[in-house]
Amino acid sequence: MKKEEKEMQLCFFPGCNTPAIRPDVERAIRASMPVLGIDLVDADNYVCCPAFGSFPSADEEAWMATSGWNLSIAEQKECDFVVQCGSCYSSLRMGRDHLVHDAEKMAHVNELLEPTGRQVTGKSKVRHVSEVLFREVGPEKIASQLKKSLQGLHGVVQYPCHTLFPSEVVGFEESPRAPQGLRLLVEALGATVDGYSRELDCCGGAGGFMKSTPEQAIEFARAKFDAILAETKADFIAVSCITCLMHMEKVQNTFNQQLGEEQYKIPVFDYNQLLALCLGFDPKEVSAICNVPRDPVLSHLVPVKPKA
Amino acid sequence: MDLQEGSTKDLWKDVFNTGSLHYCFNCSTCVSGCPASHGDPPLLVRNLARKVILGLEEELLEDDTPWACVSCSRCDEMCPMNVMPFEMILAIRQWQCRNDETLVPSAIVEIYKRGFTQAVGVNTELRESLGLPQLHTITNNPEQLELFREMLMKTQIVSDNDYMFKG
Repeated sequence: MKKEEKEMQLCFFPGCNTPAIRPDVERAIRASMPVLGIDLVDADNYVCCPAFGSFPSADEEAWMATSGWNLSIAEQKECDFVVQCGSCYSSLRMGRDHLVHDAEKMAHVNELLEPTGRQVTGKSKVRHVSEVLFREVGPEKIASQLKKSLQGLHGVVQYPCHTLFPSEVVGFEESPRAPQGLRLLVEALGATVDGYSRELDCCGGAGGFMKSTPEQAIEFARAKFDAILAETKADFIAVSCITCLMHMEKVQNTFNQQLGEEQYKIPVFDYNQLLALCLGFDPKEVSAICNVPRDPVLSHLVPVKPKA
Repeated sequence: MDLQEGSTKDLWKDVFNTGSLHYCFNCSTCVSGCPASHGDPPLLVRNLARKVILGLEEELLEDDTPWACVSCSRCDEMCPMNVMPFEMILAIRQWQCRNDETLVPSAIVEIYKRGFTQAVGVNTELRESLGLPQLHTITNNPEQLELFREMLMKTQIVSDNDYMFKG
C-alpha cells in the first residue's frame, strides 16, 4: 500500500449455515477482508440471529432477547457487526431497529440480559459484507489489489433480498429498485456483468416456500434460471447470501434430475469467494465446497501483471 | 359470509396492533411481488390482512399460508400504505403460536438446546482442512449456554411451553 490507511475493525457474525455447511465461504471472508483493511474480530458465544422461522415467528419477546444477546457481543468489542447471511443481517437489523425505537422494549431486554452479565444499548450497528465492500472499501481499491482477474468471463449477480427490503431498515443502495453494489463489485474483479429481466427476483430459497410447496418453489426458481440462460452469457452467478448460494446450486441439480440431463450448470459463488480467489488465495481453501462444478471459472482466472 | 356470526371484534388488536393495518385498501401490491404467491395454496398477503381486520379468528387460526413466506420483505417495501405486511406475517405466526402450541416451531427448541438450528462448531476437521480456526461457539461453552437458556426461560413463549425444552 502506498499511503498509510486507517484500518477498520468489525465484529464478524458468521451465522449458522456458513460455519457449519459452507465454511469455505467463512474462510474466504476471513481471508479477503483483512487484505482490504477490514480487521475482523470474533463474535464469541454468539447465538442464532435468530432466524425468521424461529423466535420471530413465535414470540417477539424472545426474538428481542436473542437479538439483544447478539448485539451485546459487538458492543463489548466496540465495533459494528459484519454479516454475510441475508437472513442474519435482516433479523439482527430489525431486532436492533425495534430496540432502539422502543425504550420500553430496550429496558425489558436489558432486564432479561442483566443476569447474564450483558447489556445492549444499540450503539453497534449491523452491516452487510457487500455494503462494507461497496461503501468502505470501494470497487477501485479492490481492483487495485488483485493478483488474478475474471477478465473474459461473464457473470450475473443475485442481490440478497434482505439487503434491499425494506430499504428504510436494511437498505444501503441509492435505489433499492435499481441496486448496483454487487454488480460494480463483480466488475471490479474484471468480469462482465450481464443484466437480465429477472435479476431482482428472489431466489426463493428462504423461509417456508420450499418446504410448504416445493414443486411451485422449484418452478419459481426455474423462471429465473431460464431467463439467465436465454438473456445472458453467464459463466457464473455471484451472490452475497449463504441461502442464495446453497439454494441456487441445489435447485439447478433438481432441474437436471427432473430433466435427466445436465442442462443447468452455472457455477455459483459467494462474492467473497471470487474476491479471495482474485486476491490469490488457494481455491482449495476459499472455494472448496460446491454442488455445481466451478472448474470452468477456476481454470479461467487470469494472472494480473504487477504494476511497475 | 355472516360476519356477525363468525367475526371477533378487535381481533386485530390481539394479532397486529398497528394503526396502519386499517389503511390497507386491498390493492394487492403485496401479492404481486411475493414469491410464495406462486405457491399452492398461494400466500395472499392482502387476504390475510382482511382476515385480521374483519376478525375472522377461526379462519386465521387454520390458515397455514403465513408459514410459506420467504421473508424477502418486498411487501414491506412496496406497500403504498405502510401496512408493514412482512411484520404482519410474523405477528400472525406469533398469534397462531399463542393460540395453538402445536404450531410453535421446533427451531426454537434447537436454539434453546445448542444456540443454533445448525450444528455450529463441531466440524473441526473440515474447518482445519480449510485453514479455519476453531469457532468459539456457545455450543462448546456450557456456562454461557446455561446463561442463555436461563434468559430464554424467562420469556413467555419458553416458560409457557417449558415441557418442550426439557430433556
